[in-house]
Amino acid sequence: MPPMKPVLPKDAKSVTDLPLRLRNFLARYPPEIHSAAVRRPDFSKLSAELSEEKASGEVPSPYTPDRDAKGSAGLEKGAWTPSKALLITTTELRNPFLPNKRYGKWEAPRYGLRQQADLMKLAIKYGAEGLLPPSQKSTEYKETRRAERGLAIKGTGVGQKVKGHKWERTMESRLEERRKAMEGMPELVRLWKQRGHGRGWKQWPKR
Amino acid sequence: MAKKAKSRTIAVRLISMAMTGYYRTMIRPRVHRPLSMMKYDPVIKKQVLFLEATKGGKNK
Repeated sequence: MPPMKPVLPKDAKSVTDLPLRLRNFLARYPPEIHSAAVRRPDFSKLSAELSEEKASGEVPSPYTPDRDAKGSAGLEKGAWTPSKALLITTTELRNPFLPNKRYGKWEAPRYGLRQQADLMKLAIKYGAEGLLPPSQKSTEYKETRRAERGLAIKGTGVGQKVKGHKWERTMESRLEERRKAMEGMPELVRLWKQRGHGRGWKQWPKR
Repeated sequence: MAKKAKSRTIAVRLISMAMTGYYRTMIRPRVHRPLSMMKYDPVIKKQVLFLEATKGGKNK
């Protein structure tokens, strides 16, 4: 994919209309190199792959086969998520908003989360969010993350499920067992009557 | 010392064969054959077969 050129916001006629703080930042980290639009050349491909993966992999049934079975665990800790894909950047140019591993050591982000948030809020106010590098504070990241995690209610996010009560989780299998038993009931009663109403009965149930 | 005499009757559990988990408790003489009868199961709202189940499932 050819690198997109970051577009200046419509209401701001030029970069000079932006507040000084933003201008300083953009001077140090020019959007042509660092902005989110430029730095994520492979994201569309990635997201396509991710969505394909999601479409092919079926969501497991929340019901467990019986009362003693354990429910399956949710997403793994280190699992790949769309929000993580948003923060992928090339290693040659370090993103000032993200920690960076260099010479075998981790470097802290040049701009801390609070400064990032301030810059992002300023940029959003002036409609220049697209000029900033990928950040945890960007609207896109926050929206993706919210979709993943759900509305802060456990189990409502993408790929999550509500655990529910045990009687809910085992309901499917229990109803199935009951249905099968009722299907065989007339035959069972016939046999029982045939064997003298229990006189010759051998298969007594266990308690 | 002599063992304590066993009671003449025992309480038994009759389990619904509809696999609803519903059961009835009845009292029968110890020497009697195991109980089995058609009874109403309120879970499926039908008369079904109830069979006696004892601990360990040992019936004569």
